[in-house]
Amino acid sequence: MRPNIHVKNKVAVVGAGLTLFRRRMLETPRELAWEAASMALESAGLTLKDIDCIVIGTAPDAFDGVHLNGEYLADGAGGVNKPTVRVYVGGGTGVFVPIAAWWHVASGLCRTVLAVAEEKMSPAHPHPQGVFAYIWDPVLERPLGPNLIWIFALEMRRYMHKCGAKKEDIALVSVKNKANALDHPAAQAAAKITVEDVLNSEVLVWPVNRLDISPVSDGAAALVLASENEARRITDSPVWVEGVGFTLDNTHWYNRELGYPRYVQYAARMAYKMAGIERPWREIDVAEPYDPFDYKELHHIEGLMLARPCEAPKLLKEGHFNRDGDLPTSPSGGLLGVGNPIAAAGVMKVAELFWQLRYEAGARQVKKPVHRGVAQAWGDLMQAGTVIVLGN
Amino acid sequence: MSWWKENVASRIRHYPGSMEVEKYVYTPGVHGLEQAKALKEGKILGSKCGDTIYVPPLTLCPDHKPGELVEVKGPWRVVTYTVITETMDGRKLEKPEVIAVVKPDDAEGGLIHRVESDQVYIGMEVEPVFKPEAERKGTIDDILYFKPK
Repeated sequence: MRPNIHVKNKVAVVGAGLTLFRRRMLETPRELAWEAASMALESAGLTLKDIDCIVIGTAPDAFDGVHLNGEYLADGAGGVNKPTVRVYVGGGTGVFVPIAAWWHVASGLCRTVLAVAEEKMSPAHPHPQGVFAYIWDPVLERPLGPNLIWIFALEMRRYMHKCGAKKEDIALVSVKNKANALDHPAAQAAAKITVEDVLNSEVLVWPVNRLDISPVSDGAAALVLASENEARRITDSPVWVEGVGFTLDNTHWYNRELGYPRYVQYAARMAYKMAGIERPWREIDVAEPYDPFDYKELHHIEGLMLARPCEAPKLLKEGHFNRDGDLPTSPSGGLLGVGNPIAAAGVMKVAELFWQLRYEAGARQVKKPVHRGVAQAWGDLMQAGTVIVLGN
Repeated sequence: MSWWKENVASRIRHYPGSMEVEKYVYTPGVHGLEQAKALKEGKILGSKCGDTIYVPPLTLCPDHKPGELVEVKGPWRVVTYTVITETMDGRKLEKPEVIAVVKPDDAEGGLIHRVESDQVYIGMEVEPVFKPEAERKGTIDDILYFKPK
């Protein structure tokens, strides 16, 4: 019973590419974009001549320290003298990039799209936290001298209270994802750690410890999307975009229930409706929920309706979300393990679904047979939800 | 005179805020490192894409492939110019400064730089003047200015 909307063209992902994720890369933003874009094109067996349109995603200009960063790195992304657009919804940008690429193709405007996301967080000194400070309201919030982790500390504490989740339940996400990332060739923060390691790591903003949180990263990732006709010519195993969804809540983040990400649920409902999915907890085989913090993966699993509210910590403990579990989440290693170059991290998640659904993920391949996957990112003041459903 | 030149923030209604990023430490890039090395040696590079050389060296050629870095020899000519007489905060310069786009005959594109001449004209032939070798740091400032040939 899909699709539930009219589109001119069905859209498939036909190629993906990824640079190393590292704390500081020598390459400039445009060199990183070029590397990821070239890999994606090569994996699809295409050259830039075969591409009609370009979609670029990168989070605030202030990280790279270049104004209009999308335009700055456009030549690396292959966007010069082509219809090129940059999209930006904070941390949600990574998944919004393939969503924007989807509508370019679904509308019939372009047959093939190269979608490139890049982030370079290392130039801002003394720390990119200085950039994050600008997401706060200058009148009501900034006089308190907040940093980004405050939000997550407040949200995590609320989630723990509402769901009766303990720090050690949540730390398991970090243990799982960092271990998954050991098999990822681009990973920055892969490690074999224990729950005790997480609990004993430095407290950043209570209850957030250092190992609860993803690192600062440089990196780029790219995808090639194509219309059905083109996709069938390019590959025998296209991965179809079955549904997309995105929602924005308001910036008054403390005025809503922090224990449940409503904006993610709305975005997920939109994507599932398009994909004809009624029971996501049974119909989704593999998921890449956004995990910049360990509790966030649980939070988003619930927002994506892959578990009931407050049920995720219990299922996690039972191994439900492991790579060999019933519903593997973040088999890539996620942001906690692979790294978090903001926009590129979201595209990395979608790329992971692409490889999983083509059975090309190698050592990271999940044990169960896979037909459908969902990837999600979140951005801004816990207000932007972006969701994409892929199927083979 | 604009209000910001008088520094009168205290006289307007406002909420205070400051940039928490003190500075940016940009990476030179794979390509940029080569350019820095060349500047230290007193050379200006371009990138060769097919039969065309581009200055400054494009990170990527129009065909989305990295070009081959080659030295550009000139001669350079003024394409357009402007004359600066005061600084950003309104201070008069002792001597007007000529800022020009200069293009080498053997390449496409060009550089924007100072030209040391009070009789500049479009089409004027110029050449780069580098700092003494010991003072060069591998930045575009290693070129002091272009002077008439």
